[in-house]
Amino acid sequence: MTKLDLDVDPRPIYLLLIVVIALPILSRTVLPVPVSNTTRAVYEFIENLAKTRPNSLVILSFDYSTSLVPELHPQAIVVTQQLFTLPLRVIFVAQWIDGPALTDAVLDAIDKGSKKYGVDYATLGYIPNIATLIGMTTNIQQFFPVDTLGNPTSSLPIIQQFPAGKQASLVMTFTGGEPGLDNYLQYWQTPYKIPTAVGAPAISAPGYMPFYNSQQIVGIMISMRGAAEYEFLIHQVGLSGAVSAMVAQSASLWLVAILVILGNSAYVVRKATRRGR
Amino acid sequence: MAAKRKMSRWEIILQAAIFTVGFFYAVTYYVKVSEPIDLQMVADNSLAYLTAMILTAFAIGIINLTRIHWRNIKLRRADWKFSLVLIGSLYGMAIFSIIASPFALDPRGFIIPSWLIDVISPVWNFLYYNVLVSINTSIFSLLAFFIASAAYRAFKIRTMESTILLIAGLLVIIGEAPISDLIWPGFSAIQNWIMLVPNTAGQRGILIGAALSIVAFSVRRMIRYS
Repeated sequence: MTKLDLDVDPRPIYLLLIVVIALPILSRTVLPVPVSNTTRAVYEFIENLAKTRPNSLVILSFDYSTSLVPELHPQAIVVTQQLFTLPLRVIFVAQWIDGPALTDAVLDAIDKGSKKYGVDYATLGYIPNIATLIGMTTNIQQFFPVDTLGNPTSSLPIIQQFPAGKQASLVMTFTGGEPGLDNYLQYWQTPYKIPTAVGAPAISAPGYMPFYNSQQIVGIMISMRGAAEYEFLIHQVGLSGAVSAMVAQSASLWLVAILVILGNSAYVVRKATRRGR
Repeated sequence: MAAKRKMSRWEIILQAAIFTVGFFYAVTYYVKVSEPIDLQMVADNSLAYLTAMILTAFAIGIINLTRIHWRNIKLRRADWKFSLVLIGSLYGMAIFSIIASPFALDPRGFIIPSWLIDVISPVWNFLYYNVLVSINTSIFSLLAFFIASAAYRAFKIRTMESTILLIAGLLVIIGEAPISDLIWPGFSAIQNWIMLVPNTAGQRGILIGAALSIVAFSVRRMIRYS
């Protein structure tokens, strides 16, 4: 078999990639980001929820590790900020061990306005197993006797108002994989019809599309771009830093596309040349 | 076909336990039994034992890791300094996390002195947010370099199938870049269609196929067919 591999030194490509990523970030260029339907669906659901059922409960689940911070953390920041500007109650949980620390980081990054801890929001922390995830749908206090600050959950007004997870009007998971969306679909959405949304990294998002098409999830935020789109929707450009990274992301994606086209052009030319000999 | 080996007494007990647990969970998922005992509740609560088992495995891992690296340090084996860093990081972060973090055992300072929590808290914050997050995100972002140098070699128009894959992949990559919409709005419309139609069809096939395979494998395991 004829060998037609393209043996190119990757170092100039690495250098080129560094340049196309670093220059836009350093120049702080901002690009308008068209809003996708999947992201708009999440935004509109939350806005409508606040209008039609004010003071409803929203559960945010931080199901990602520190390695996925660039993709999912901006999403968590913008959605939390939107929730904190609306008349909604928020409970934070996490199916991944890094989740509680990342929740604290998100709460530090946003403007909490007049929202009070324990009344408008609470951080319950890590969900260690499926039994807890299932159990908290009917009794939060039983499975979370204390919050991450050490307060008894029975003393928190938000838990007194919403003692069961199934009272939630929306559960949104920012998920880097399993455990993540599947658990909520299986144990929350299917039995209790709790509307569910997901924030996903670009690599996982295609796998969630069937659930969006079948309306099992109300919307999907995809990667850092989803957060950038959300910044425009909530009129807080620059909040999570996602918009400022969009030029760099565009440039790097186009670079990859151009390299693929160039690589294939070289491959076709080489193949034709060898056939001609 | 070779005859099945006769099971020992312990294997019979184990097989009976596998069948009973598997059958119990399959039944409780589909059949609601609330009287005389709530079987769903029993099934859900029993899952906590899974966590206990995972934690045991985790503990064994930590003990093993400690033993190996402690011996490395004790015998001054090659690269023993890295073992020292590993042991220090493992136990240092664990102790700091127990004192002052979202996982703290006593966040309100009933037993652990408040001054100690106040001292450790900024240290933990620095180690977690400035060291761990930075290291992990840096490692993850290296993927961009691998993808950039591998994509043009991997995506080749060798066959009809690979050509279709290449075109679809290129359109999704270009559609994902926000700047593409400024060049031609059709890019994101095409990407959206690829994601919602062919991708969904393929993903559904994979999901349903995988689910059926899990059912088939579980049944085979329950009746000791494999």
